[in-house]
Amino acid sequence: MSGVVEGGWEFVIAAYAVTAAVLGAYAVSVFVRHSAEKSRAAGGEKGP
Amino acid sequence: MARVAHNRTPHALVAAGVALLLAGSYWGLLKAPREIFMGDVQRIMYVHVPTAWNAMLALSFAFVCAVCFLFTNAWKWDNRLEAAMEMGVVLSLLLCTQGAIWAKPTWGVWWDWDPRLTTTAVMVFAFGGILALRAFVDDPVKRAVWSAVACIVAFADVPIVYFSVKWWNSLHQAQSSPQTVSRAFHWPLRINAFGILFLWTGLVALRARVAALRLQSEIHPPVPEQKSAPAGAPVPGGA
Repeated sequence: MSGVVEGGWEFVIAAYAVTAAVLGAYAVSVFVRHSAEKSRAAGGEKGP
Repeated sequence: MARVAHNRTPHALVAAGVALLLAGSYWGLLKAPREIFMGDVQRIMYVHVPTAWNAMLALSFAFVCAVCFLFTNAWKWDNRLEAAMEMGVVLSLLLCTQGAIWAKPTWGVWWDWDPRLTTTAVMVFAFGGILALRAFVDDPVKRAVWSAVACIVAFADVPIVYFSVKWWNSLHQAQSSPQTVSRAFHWPLRINAFGILFLWTGLVALRARVAALRLQSEIHPPVPEQKSAPAGAPVPGGA
């Protein structure tokens, strides 16, 4: 035991992959909700 | 009725954030030197620490929005509060996940009931609970007032999270600052911090527009002829 962490790239890749997945998924969800609300509001403005 | 703004600034902020995150992550993964004790595992710091800074910043912005709503009764602050709390919870959950991934190779465990980790978990559940509360309250006025008050109460935990490593014996290392982090690691850390900052400000601006549009349809559902709001009543729609 040297007291130095050896290897560990799998943890590094996992951390960056989780970060990309979470931020990417949240960004997509915001864009989707935004465009859905805009379409709904535009439909409502036209009126029956 | 106030109109919801439709400029492209949030999209530009998100694009700038993604570009900075790509550059900072490239630097952190491939260009920055290995740390002498933790080796390559330390490269997790370049996403973990910026996530922590920005989670606290997003929740601090939510606190400011809550205070502003209670003082002004302007709906734009409630829309921003909802958006900032949601972003803060997402970043805090991401922070806990990154922390667990970093803890396993360095501490030997995924989780420990250490003061920093425990207070962060309390923060996630407190703000997550307020978001759940918002989902269950139909009256927009009650929802806005209750969540603003709850946000102010929950925010008490944010400085406790920050100072927990100073106040108590913690397995977690002290706060990362120019004094505690080697100069060789500064740039990827800063670039990713600004990347996440731009990303969340853009997303919060867009998410606040979503909240504003929903509020408009809730308070003034589309009908052929609408009566104007009574004098002094809060006007929905500002993002």
